Amino acid sequence: MRAWLPSLLRAALLAILLAFLVSPGWFEPLLKPLVQDNAPAIYNQGSLLTLTLLHLRTVAIATIAAIIVAVTLAILVTRPFGAEFLPLSRSLVNVGQTFPPVAVLALAVPALGFGEKPTLVALFLYGLLPIFENTLTGLTTLPPSVMEAARGAGMTDRQRLFRVELPLAMPVILAGVRLSVVISLATATIGSTVAAKTLGEVIIAGLQSNNIAFVLQGGLIVGALAVLIYDGLSAIEAVLARRAGL
Amino acid sequence: MIEIDGITKRYDGTAVVDNVTMTIAPRTVTVIVGTSGSGKTTLLRMINRLVEPSAGAIRLDGDDNRSMPGYELRRRIGYAIQGHGLFPHRTVAQNIATVPVLLGWDKGRIDAKVRELLALFQLDPAIFAARFPHELSGGQQQRVGVARALAAEPKVLLMDEPFGALDPIIRAKAQADLLDIQRLLKTTIVLVTHDMDEAFHLADKIAVMDKGELVQYGTPAELVTNPATEFVQTLIGASERPFRLLSIETAGQAVEPGTADGQPVDAATSQRDVLSELLWTGRDALPVAAADGTLIGKVTLEGLARRAARPQ
Repeated sequence: MRAWLPSLLRAALLAILLAFLVSPGWFEPLLKPLVQDNAPAIYNQGSLLTLTLLHLRTVAIATIAAIIVAVTLAILVTRPFGAEFLPLSRSLVNVGQTFPPVAVLALAVPALGFGEKPTLVALFLYGLLPIFENTLTGLTTLPPSVMEAARGAGMTDRQRLFRVELPLAMPVILAGVRLSVVISLATATIGSTVAAKTLGEVIIAGLQSNNIAFVLQGGLIVGALAVLIYDGLSAIEAVLARRAGL
Repeated sequence: MIEIDGITKRYDGTAVVDNVTMTIAPRTVTVIVGTSGSGKTTLLRMINRLVEPSAGAIRLDGDDNRSMPGYELRRRIGYAIQGHGLFPHRTVAQNIATVPVLLGWDKGRIDAKVRELLALFQLDPAIFAARFPHELSGGQQQRVGVARALAAEPKVLLMDEPFGALDPIIRAKAQADLLDIQRLLKTTIVLVTHDMDEAFHLADKIAVMDKGELVQYGTPAELVTNPATEFVQTLIGASERPFRLLSIETAGQAVEPGTADGQPVDAATSQRDVLSELLWTGRDALPVAAADGTLIGKVTLEGLARRAARPQ
């Protein structure tokens, strides 16, 4: 009974989330008690489904860019010729993580204007660190005997990287991606302060009109997305790890 | 033939391998022994250029091993290591196919080679080809490691403590299998170990390394009867000498005319094992049978004692 319970809960969560996005009107009675007399209980300034898809798109673009840059950087600094750049790239990526996304938005708006672009920059910088650190860990903790065998078999540097190192490091890299995605899902909401189309719009609208129902539905949708995506990526990781014999 | 010519490897000015010169005959088993830090593994790794020498040259069948890129050289030389080093994300068949794939063999040839090697190492292809390394026992992993090293039919096989991680029973079997396969494939094997029993069991010639220098290079019998230095003598062990001599040759080589009572021993058994059997059963002679079962004579306690004594 224990084994199928989590899957059942996830399936139920997904079903409720989809139902809410496609037909939010069904849930109006639930949210009605939270609002004052004639205020709307369901966000009415745009489609929740569209906002969710735009939110996911923003996170996806920022994460893919972060993966490309962070993984490339980690590969370069773990090669013999790039080893001396390791401390430098570490500090750069750390700065990206410690710089508050709100401050990035404030700095990026004058250069890039309002909308999605400054949000993408903030999410990209914020997402680099977990992916970079995990890729670094994955590539530097490979079993020495396996690396020795790969060299002894006559693989070139490139063949070792693509046939042995990256496949074996993949579960650890993916764990970093998962962390980065979840952080970005939550952080993306503040993009709406600079007019990016994300679920933050719903939350901000709720704050402005003192509508708790708006704040709640915006927050819950982001939360549900984070839980489902986190679990989905964990499952892929487990499959990869099993295949890698780890 | 492997000609090692004045090879030296220095790290920060300290010579780990110091001016070693030796010639390894084709189709033989050469065992490099020494304590840890003696430079034996570095010497082995310079043959396939996992380590680049500071001075000197190594020639394989007359060609300098620096005449081609290192990775191409390594595809031609088998390499098996302690702890097998199998790729955990690849099946047994994919592991064995590593070098043939790098060499661009066609699929049919690779599949045939994988099946042939699995069968040779007593692993049923139908069961083992699709398994992953972590689904195998230690002995099976080790066999797959050696099969992978032999997949591209190399003339030379380098082995770095290949049996070090195995328990004693599996190790004895792995050593016997290696000798059978060496006789079948006629591969030149260079093996590094710190286990003297293993060295005497496997070697046609033994190279003894001490502090980076090659102190003696000769047949096992030469090492026992005429150790070049104190170190060689210590390594062999003074009290082990007669038994080491007996462990080199087989019962067939000590056979005398005549017959004896009891269960015959196989002619391929080492004289040391026959002596042990004689002492344990309290006999002074045992009959010897050839591989086909025919009796070819007897081995006596007295005969073995003569052979174990210091040569005059």
